[in-house]
Amino acid sequence: MGGAERSARKRKQQGSAPAAGAKAVAAARSGGGDRSKVILAVVAVLVIAGAVIGGVIYTNNQKNATKDKAIAVQTVQLDVPVKRDGGVVVVGQDGAKATLDIYEDFLCPACASFEEGFGPKIEEKVKDGSLKVRFHLLNLLNNRSDPEGYSTDSANAALLAADEGKFLSFHKSLFKDQPAEGARGWTKDQLIELGKAVGVTSQAFVDGVRSGKYDALVSEEYQKARADEALQQDFNGQKGFGTPTLASGGKAIDTEDPNWLAKLTG
Amino acid sequence: MTKASVLDGIGTLLRVGLAAVWLVSGWIKVSDPNQTFIAVQAYDLLPSALVSVVAAAMPFLELALGVLLLVGLGTRLSAALSILVLLAFIGAVAQSWARGLSIDCGCFGGGGPVAEGQTKYPQEIARDLGFLALAVWLTIRPRTWLSVDGRFGARSSVEETS
Repeated sequence: MGGAERSARKRKQQGSAPAAGAKAVAAARSGGGDRSKVILAVVAVLVIAGAVIGGVIYTNNQKNATKDKAIAVQTVQLDVPVKRDGGVVVVGQDGAKATLDIYEDFLCPACASFEEGFGPKIEEKVKDGSLKVRFHLLNLLNNRSDPEGYSTDSANAALLAADEGKFLSFHKSLFKDQPAEGARGWTKDQLIELGKAVGVTSQAFVDGVRSGKYDALVSEEYQKARADEALQQDFNGQKGFGTPTLASGGKAIDTEDPNWLAKLTG
Repeated sequence: MTKASVLDGIGTLLRVGLAAVWLVSGWIKVSDPNQTFIAVQAYDLLPSALVSVVAAAMPFLELALGVLLLVGLGTRLSAALSILVLLAFIGAVAQSWARGLSIDCGCFGGGGPVAEGQTKYPQEIARDLGFLALAVWLTIRPRTWLSVDGRFGARSSVEETS
């Protein structure tokens, strides 16, 4: 160490001596308060980080109820013509007295309750030839699944199942085993498995589900329905289109009337 | 009673109050993750993949802030983070209002689209501003009674008063 350097160091020590002394006294008196503060802050940050990371993992597990499961199969035995007409599935005899238009979304809980309550009664009317049903499968709730897209995927798959004549079982199964809104829907692979389980054998179905063959038709059908004033209903004082909507002759049916089905088929 | 101890007392009440806000709102959201997803989605701000992460993380962030404030651990840090989160909430509600979306803020559960005329944007923002005031106080003056900070960390604060 050179002489100049030494004296500089000495000067520095002298200059800072009072301040350093005060600091040492403060540190002694506070029992290392600063260090404790740092430790507390670190603990707080760890608590927050742990909660957030753990929470994301936990929530994702919660929401994946449909993962690694097969869609439960429901079988509908109904010997009536089923054909796809664009984005609409037409079920029933051509000469049926009445035609019922049903607008629904496979993710819509109210549609599932409607199917649960009225499905069998409608099937009966279709079977005895008094009713023809036009199913409009829409993607109104497409962004309500996580990841989004289930409404479109399921509607597309149902149209493809209609091409194979297996629509009714496919449709019933999806409503009976409906994924929750805001959670994971069924994947394309799971939809394909359901198709196989209800008796669809063609490769066209598999390819169509994967490629989203009728996605555009589904969206088109939804836009058409949404823009149709005659299909609008009253939701808490506000007019709008929702699912399920039932219509006949292009006009919405008021399902508040418990006898709406009997009135329709006469 | 000195002025400082009166302020400490007020701070303690505010701390517990803000803790209660976070614990209640976090708990309601944690209990219904699907609804929380729908609520976040309704703001129409984030890409789908981020909606999922934010909806999953936010309730637990709220719970963590609630617990930390309740025990008074890292009070200033938690309060400062609360300010950021509340500003984000206020911003999100304000943009919905400005864009004419019809949604419920989902601040304490619920959330998602509502009918036009059913929105409560001014009330929601006012409420968040109230919470923001608590967070600001605690950030500026985090010293309170019955806190972990006071017990283990802030012996130097005893010195300040002496």
